[in-house]
Amino acid sequence: MHTQHFPQLESVELIEQGFEAFGYICSRKIATAVFLAFQLRKPVLIEGPPGVGKTELAKTIAQLLDTPLIRLQCYEGLDEAKALYEWKYGKQLLYTQVLKEKLGDLLQGAIGLAESVEKLHQFGDIFYSEEFLEPRPLLKAMQQDKGAILLIDEVDKSDYEFESLLLEILSDYQISIPEIGTVKARTTPMVFLTSNNTRDISDALKRRCLHLYIPFPTVELEERIIRTRVPNVTEALRHQLVEFVHSLRQLDLKKAPAISETIDWARSLLLLHADQLDAELVRSTLNVLLKYEEDIETADSELRSLLSTRSSDKRTT
Amino acid sequence: MQSNLVDFIQVLRSHDIRVSPAETLDAIGVTTTLGYSDRNLLRDGLAMTLAKTPAEEVIFLDCFDRFFQQDLANFSSEEVPNKQDESKDADQADNAAVQSENFFTSQISTLEMAAKSDPSLKSLLHTPLMENLLNNNRPELTLAINAAAQSVDLQKIQMFTQKGQFTRRILDAMGEEQIRNAVIALERAENPALAVLQRFRDILRQQVRDYVEREYLLHAEGKNQQFMDDILSKTRLNNLEHIYLHKVHELIRKMAKKLASRHAHKRRHLKRGQLNMAKTLRKGIPNDGVMFNTYWRQVKKEKPQILAVCDVSGSVAAYSKFLLLFLYSLQDILPKVRSFAFSSHLGEVSTYFDDYPVEKAIELVNWKYGGATDYGNSLMDLSKLALDDINSNTTVIILGDARNNNGDPKLDILQSIFQRARQVIWLNPESRRAWGSGDSEMLRYQSACHFSAECNNLKQLERIVDQLLKSTR
Repeated sequence: MHTQHFPQLESVELIEQGFEAFGYICSRKIATAVFLAFQLRKPVLIEGPPGVGKTELAKTIAQLLDTPLIRLQCYEGLDEAKALYEWKYGKQLLYTQVLKEKLGDLLQGAIGLAESVEKLHQFGDIFYSEEFLEPRPLLKAMQQDKGAILLIDEVDKSDYEFESLLLEILSDYQISIPEIGTVKARTTPMVFLTSNNTRDISDALKRRCLHLYIPFPTVELEERIIRTRVPNVTEALRHQLVEFVHSLRQLDLKKAPAISETIDWARSLLLLHADQLDAELVRSTLNVLLKYEEDIETADSELRSLLSTRSSDKRTT
Repeated sequence: MQSNLVDFIQVLRSHDIRVSPAETLDAIGVTTTLGYSDRNLLRDGLAMTLAKTPAEEVIFLDCFDRFFQQDLANFSSEEVPNKQDESKDADQADNAAVQSENFFTSQISTLEMAAKSDPSLKSLLHTPLMENLLNNNRPELTLAINAAAQSVDLQKIQMFTQKGQFTRRILDAMGEEQIRNAVIALERAENPALAVLQRFRDILRQQVRDYVEREYLLHAEGKNQQFMDDILSKTRLNNLEHIYLHKVHELIRKMAKKLASRHAHKRRHLKRGQLNMAKTLRKGIPNDGVMFNTYWRQVKKEKPQILAVCDVSGSVAAYSKFLLLFLYSLQDILPKVRSFAFSSHLGEVSTYFDDYPVEKAIELVNWKYGGATDYGNSLMDLSKLALDDINSNTTVIILGDARNNNGDPKLDILQSIFQRARQVIWLNPESRRAWGSGDSEMLRYQSACHFSAECNNLKQLERIVDQLLKSTR
């Protein structure tokens, strides 16, 4: 097992710049996590509310390093046949058929059962061999020659048992297949796990990972993100809309709007040719930001105060 | 630096952050990769390996700031009371130090004048401590305090009462005694240099005191917290002072979380059990003994159900709050819990617990069901409400003191519950010796319980719940 060398990941600053080139604006902390993950060869467990760019981070690194991104979406009932490997049963059946036909030739000259069996043992057994192995995402990530980004998405959705399955991969970058043996990674992949915190991840898994919590961004950071993602929005509107989203997050909502929603909103405002926020416009586009009827109602009733505090802010500045 | 890091991890552990040796190694890996030049970078990096939840991260940042506080001890000539402000604003202090340099030299000359007539003062002026003080050599003095603290094992400080003792020991280790003696000598001689020397002594003392205070917060605060938690969980609930209520809340929540994480993980049963050979053979007979179909022993899936009944009358008022709190957390952990509350009559309160936050729910229950106890009546209500639902998978927990005001205990109802249910558990806040005394019907009720226990502190509560959860799995 050897490790790929990536000059893009030499320092925290380089990572920040590299990400920015691909339109991913990140805080210092995120860049530090990526740097450490690469230097220490440890997986990163990313937590945070939905829509703050957890999955996007892994995608951007794959782009930055130009390595394949192998993604494993977790769900309840995910098992090793879908995550690790499976045998190609159809091919194995065919193989036994072929073997049956050739058996006469192979056993030529063997007298008696004992001798036949002994002769049979002399042939290499390829029934359980790599040829008949169907790699699933985790094994596939181990088999990449040039390294890979392995994204295990929403690991909290998977079962408890599946977590234990991951432990060997995360600490030693290897997979044990009972019929074959241990398969080591050709090149250590960079592993990212994401979690929405729907349940507690086991300590054993946490221990093996670097822990990165991505919160909602600051106003400055979010404005930079909007600038790179939706460049056509005017400076004034950008400031207004980010401020508005931030004040929305202060409300007691079922689901606070995340960065992805802010981006969507900025795009829809652009489509509507808006250059200024007003109550009517916000009301008609609120469903882009908020995903629950109750939330929309709550925000609607607060709309006046939200917009007025913001404009008074503006007057004072 | 490595030993410094290990010290830091000790501090984290005392603040309730679990750090394993493997994580310590990771942290060392992080420090060697990131270096020590960028403080924020190092802090973020260490946070990633050592803190595993956002809550832990907050504690971590707090500890990090305190532990790696870079402020040097300050011995400039400003007045002593201003010292605390200065440590926050080091730059300002530096300016002040420059301005007061002239003032300083004049003071030193006063001392030197006095030293001519007093040999002990003369020798004092040449000790490294006094030289550093006179020259306001802050790095050196900080180092000296650190070294002295190390030599007296300040890290082992446990209680706030030890602060004074440690301050004195550090001062002694630094050689403050000489200054003290010199002050006494000057006092006797009524020398004008007395005030100057006294001021230096006070500055030194204040600095050491601050240092001890900081270290105390760092090393002992977490330990004291643990100590306190330990004491609280072993105290009888009715003896707890009101001010500790919110702490107990916190503890119960912690306990519930611990129990939940231990038990919430459902073990998935395989639907298919072992091969039922006998049945397979038997069913094969019509087919001339060819076993076309295989039969398996089914694993019976049990759905545990819990009925919790809580007395909220005046006689157990001190406990009922905790018991309800406990019921509330129980309902969070276990899927099928029905809660009932009673004093003179009984009613189901599960919906309150589902719909309201804990404080509100408890208040509502107390308001609706509080009053004088009537166990007989309440048991009748219970049998009306829930007797039909009680089957061999049901666990019934009754929380109460069994003091029935000499009314009819209606033991027969409890007995019918006892016969139907999988287990009946009675948790009594009174100590076992008081059972059966006065109007207590506990001994009689006990005959219709699978298990009865006294339960009046959090430790007992936790142990019983743990047992309960194990048996219901």
